[in-house]
Amino acid sequence: TARTLVPGLSVLAHLEKLETQVNRSRKKLEEPQGAQAVESSLGTKIRDKLRSEVKQRQARVAVRDTSVEPDQTLEISEQKAWERKRENVKAILQAYRFTGLSGKLTSRGVCVCIHTAFEGTLLDSYFVDLVIQKPLRIHHHSIPAFIPLEEISAKYLQTNIQHFLFSLCEYLNAYAGRKYQADQLQRDFAAFLAGPLQRNSLCNVLSFTYKVELRGQAFTFCARLLYKDLTVTLPTDVTVTHQGMDTLPTSWEEQRASHENLFCTKALHKVFASFTQREKLDMSLVH
Amino acid sequence: MDSELAEVRALEAEIAVLRPACEEPPAPGGDAASVRKSFPEIYQSDSEGWESSKDLRSNLGHLESELLFLSTLTGISIRNYSKKTETLTSPEMAEKSIKKVLQRHRLSGTCHMISFQLEFQILEVQNKENLSSVITDLNIIMEPTTTYSELSEFVSRAEERRDLFMFFRSLHFFVEWCEYRKRTFKHFKEFDPLEDLERHVTWFELVIVWRIQTDEEGKVVPKLDLLTKVPRQALELDKKGVVETAAVGFRALLSVLGIEAALESLLSVLCMEHGGQSPQ
Repeated sequence: TARTLVPGLSVLAHLEKLETQVNRSRKKLEEPQGAQAVESSLGTKIRDKLRSEVKQRQARVAVRDTSVEPDQTLEISEQKAWERKRENVKAILQAYRFTGLSGKLTSRGVCVCIHTAFEGTLLDSYFVDLVIQKPLRIHHHSIPAFIPLEEISAKYLQTNIQHFLFSLCEYLNAYAGRKYQADQLQRDFAAFLAGPLQRNSLCNVLSFTYKVELRGQAFTFCARLLYKDLTVTLPTDVTVTHQGMDTLPTSWEEQRASHENLFCTKALHKVFASFTQREKLDMSLVH
Repeated sequence: MDSELAEVRALEAEIAVLRPACEEPPAPGGDAASVRKSFPEIYQSDSEGWESSKDLRSNLGHLESELLFLSTLTGISIRNYSKKTETLTSPEMAEKSIKKVLQRHRLSGTCHMISFQLEFQILEVQNKENLSSVITDLNIIMEPTTTYSELSEFVSRAEERRDLFMFFRSLHFFVEWCEYRKRTFKHFKEFDPLEDLERHVTWFELVIVWRIQTDEEGKVVPKLDLLTKVPRQALELDKKGVVETAAVGFRALLSVLGIEAALESLLSVLCMEHGGQSPQ
């Protein structure tokens, strides 16, 4: 019997064959004497085979632990070197995920995984299953419908696949970043919001009302954030308006203007974090 | 007869004992057990056991070709990677069933003519509800720094934000633009209008400065500017103020025609002025 990848299995398979033989013989032979003779001879065969297998395994383990014979040592160290090389290649393949793009060969082509993150926080992953044919085509994917996949494919898929992939990366990472900021606002700074945060699925149109307290006064502002460029995580247009019948005192008008600027330059949840800090500072100054 | 029967029974008993010793040990669970949302397990571990070296090498060959394919597909070639894992525990964390793992990664490779070396840390926090992974530190070393001074811009931004993916995205687009710039210059260099101009008095110099910059979001943008070096005499003769508006005019040309066409137009104008040939 040839050595297969899993030797134990070949022995077991052999065992099973022998055992069925024993059972068959048991049924066939009428004479109990004859049957037992067959049984015992087959049984002996089975037992001897098992004994030799156990011995071999024990020997192998001993060799693996303490390579005594020089020939075997060379074989084993060569084997170990190949194994080490393989582990290294496997590790590098896994490490591709850190570039934001990883992939696995399929029977049709390749399944590319696009990973997203926002300022260090790792977020969702998406995949695009490509069929390598002329023309190149997408077999299936997990890209959300509001990402302009068709547009990007039409532009780059056939002529520059790298550009196609990295462009998708841009869109997906930007979307993931905007979504993350909106989620963080709802999760950690709900106390500031005077009403629900309104957002679209692309998270590129956000609208919310928030109250700010400073030096004993409180005002409500309405903010509208527009991200016209789908590959950015900071808004392209911001309007902050005062909610209320009364006119805004000058100092508060300055506040309103500064908020508009803040939303343009800082991540959404970070802006509110700075509000929290300022309120704390304010409170500490008062008391 | 009885003795034979006894022998068979004895054999059966011995077989029953020897059998389990020959069965394959259960495959070890290992690290692969944690399947995370962010990084789906796209890799299956090979079966354990004593492989023949032929199988091992063929498996290795298959993996290496997969690696080559990935590096061609992405344009990024990872040469080396290593990681260290440290589990941080404290009795308070154990109580709340919070598990923290700190991973230290080291990655190096190339993207065309640029080589990079990264060291970063990822903190994984697992509590009852979810698993979060955050890059807590990022260090990037790039080469060559002198040829591509614009690189340091987005490197420091990426490090500040610990935005690993932005770094690779920007790197890709940066390299793409560099290649395009090289090709464009090569194309125009083959046709050299200055040869013709030098026959006449050199009235002025036109310098095209082509920078590749990255903005706040890590987007790579080419910036072209036309600089003129004109002797005062020439300026005095320039009644229409063409030289003054040259830079602005060029920028307008860029936005309308794109880089290649704008450069071509500029050069054709120069050549036609001096009766030379226009570029192909």
